[in-house]
Amino acid sequence: MSALQEQRKCSVVRMQCACSYSCMFSQVINGTSCSAVMTSLGSSSSSATEYVVRVPKNTSKKYNIMAFNAGDKVSCSTWTQARMERDMSNRRIYGEEETPDGAAGSEFGKKQREEARRKKYGIVTKEFKVEDQPWILKVNGKAGRRFKGLKKGGVTENASYYIFTQCADGAFEAFPVHSWYNFTPQAKHRTLTAEEAEEEWGRRNKVVNHFSIMLQRRLRQQEQGEEEEEEGEKGGKKKKKKGGRGGDLRIHDLEDDLEMSSDESDGSNGDDDEAKSKAKQDKGPKGKGKKKKKKKGSDLEGFEDSDDGDFEGLEVDYMSDESSSEEEEPEKPKPSKGEDVPKGIDEMSESEEESEEENKNEEDGKEEEEEEDGKKTPVQVEKKKKKDSSGESDSSEDSDIEGEAASALFMKKRTPPKRGGVRGSAGSSRTGSRPGTPSIDSAATSNTLRAAANKLEQGKRQTTVPSSETPATKRLKMEPSPQSSSGKSTPQPVSGKSTPSSSDVLLTEDAVRRYLIRKPMTTKDLLKKFQTKRTGLSSEQTVNVLAQILKRLNPERKNINDKMHFYLTE
Amino acid sequence: MSDKGQDVDLTRAKQNTGVWLVKVPKYLSQQWEKASGRGEVGKLKIGKAQGKTAVSFSLNEELTVVQCSGEKVSSVRSPREHPFTIQTVGGQSLAVFTETSDKLALEGMVVQRAECRPAVSESYMKLKKLQIEESTKPLRFSQKLEKAVTTNYKPVSNHSHNVEYEKRKKEEGKRARADKQKVLEMLFSAFEKHQYYNIRDLVDITKQPVIYLKEILREIGVYNSRGPHKSTWELKPEYRHYEEGQEDEEEKME
Repeated sequence: MSALQEQRKCSVVRMQCACSYSCMFSQVINGTSCSAVMTSLGSSSSSATEYVVRVPKNTSKKYNIMAFNAGDKVSCSTWTQARMERDMSNRRIYGEEETPDGAAGSEFGKKQREEARRKKYGIVTKEFKVEDQPWILKVNGKAGRRFKGLKKGGVTENASYYIFTQCADGAFEAFPVHSWYNFTPQAKHRTLTAEEAEEEWGRRNKVVNHFSIMLQRRLRQQEQGEEEEEEGEKGGKKKKKKGGRGGDLRIHDLEDDLEMSSDESDGSNGDDDEAKSKAKQDKGPKGKGKKKKKKKGSDLEGFEDSDDGDFEGLEVDYMSDESSSEEEEPEKPKPSKGEDVPKGIDEMSESEEESEEENKNEEDGKEEEEEEDGKKTPVQVEKKKKKDSSGESDSSEDSDIEGEAASALFMKKRTPPKRGGVRGSAGSSRTGSRPGTPSIDSAATSNTLRAAANKLEQGKRQTTVPSSETPATKRLKMEPSPQSSSGKSTPQPVSGKSTPSSSDVLLTEDAVRRYLIRKPMTTKDLLKKFQTKRTGLSSEQTVNVLAQILKRLNPERKNINDKMHFYLTE
Repeated sequence: MSDKGQDVDLTRAKQNTGVWLVKVPKYLSQQWEKASGRGEVGKLKIGKAQGKTAVSFSLNEELTVVQCSGEKVSSVRSPREHPFTIQTVGGQSLAVFTETSDKLALEGMVVQRAECRPAVSESYMKLKKLQIEESTKPLRFSQKLEKAVTTNYKPVSNHSHNVEYEKRKKEEGKRARADKQKVLEMLFSAFEKHQYYNIRDLVDITKQPVIYLKEILREIGVYNSRGPHKSTWELKPEYRHYEEGQEDEEEKME
């Protein structure tokens, strides 16, 4: 081919390539590679260039795809430095490395025995394959972005992907793609967990200041950190920091950076404090963290629905009185600072919680009053509260102490369940006594109104009833209030002979007489007749009442089958 | 944690090298693996037809021979022409990185995606039919045997395994009581390796009769009847020195 012809061809190709090909091609074509490999086709209408395609055999290099979402705006050209390593955090799930190998604590032949046992039962444990673990990519060092790359499955199953690169001589080389990883950026800012996020979502209409959300979370974490202080240095570090800050609003960038370099988890705490200090500038109250104990965790754990009668005969715990009063005073001044709207309400709801011990009844009474006033709120809130109260009474006795350390910033919607929970855990034996009040079903009031009413009650609360009231009277107190306002049921005598407002069976002298006339019965039988579920009384009450009735009736006794039976003849 | 990572070699990425990501059918990639020499598999034609770029790949002649399993002669040949359908990289930014046994390197960004399709022809149809036939064959099948199998389970007077076992037992003979000191030495060295031992394992290790061994063990060790290491023997606390060396062990011995 003459030089001229070649040149012409080159120019033709150059024109083609200029239009829509990739940068790679234009580079190459404009370079020197016009000569070797190009063979033009005969027809002029579709002039094509041919390139040899090679699939190299020496495959020591494994080609992988790193996929980023277009929205993340990742441009590899801007990277100055990148480090990548496998994420081995799943190793402990697979490896069962609890028993030490050799020397202390190990058993001879343990491994073989374990293996034989697993084979016998057919337990197949998935291996931990390093190849399949995700990648962690760090770009531009500490201050840069972090990505996590998860392996995408099924890429090489039905079709193979090849990477075509062009070589210096114009030929293409095709390399098979070994695996595909999808890289997603990792958030460096603090995020809420799924449970917390759901809660906040429920409160979204009520919360005005969104900065408080993360702040509280940090406070909560700080408490947790403080509780673990004795064990870990991490906690110690936190405490030190806290002491250092006291009530000051200082942004410790350097400190945070130092923290982040020491340990990853500490780094996240460093983030905490950095942002927290910023948030503090926005808001105000700090030292609250000290009092806020880890109540959230314990409260959240016990949340489950319970059926009626699940907690019959529970021991009543009346000890938490002192603790609640202690917490009250220091709590009081703190809530006074801070933001306006949510704060005010929070303050009220907080003070509600502080003196929860003696209040369950009052609170209930109040709610019912408010209900009578005709406020509507979702039925579920009230129902949940009730349920939680009985559910929580089981959860942990110590949560009553923690419950008192409520922070003003704790959410409003949380207060109802928490209050209920705290109440429950204080050990009310108000067990199957949901009955009474149909008003409960008609839904709880809005938070603000309830809070206001609670505040009114506060004055009463401090000096009220010691929690050593008997369950009977406690419940009775609760009952009269709705009734007084609604007038739905008859007022109840504060005598042993309590008549619940709605129940199927009444524990009256007449009823007992009827039974005893009909046939001789033991006390056990009688008790069975007056089931707590149906009379609405607790077992203690039932026993007391029944004893009194029997005393009055003075039935005759007979021993049948070695058991003492009562009977009447009339 | 960042110390453990490997630095990614970004030199090629900086050159802004663009690559193509091409999806290739399985049979074609199988043919490519059979390529010889430098690995030339075919030619890529990039042209412009009616204003659009047309890319097509043609397979080399020698690679069109399809190897099929079974008795069929390779009358089927894979198609030669494969037009590429060009797609955009759109919603994702794809980069290519390579991993060798010691190094990670970023090779470049994907600028085009393409799919390699075979030009539909008779031969392609036949090839596909063959593939389908193969894939529908079940992995397991029943086969009728002409003769009954008589090689298993012949009655024997004594199995070979048993014979060996009895011979071994005879040779070993009954276990003899060795010197007490020696036994103690063996025990201590065993307990250095592991903390808990089964009595059976100890008998195996020391080759002592059980009763004698138990006596010695009662002297220096204690038996765990409950707990995580049930029914195992371990050394008495005063004999245990798991962090220290062997000298103490000898001190402790009587």
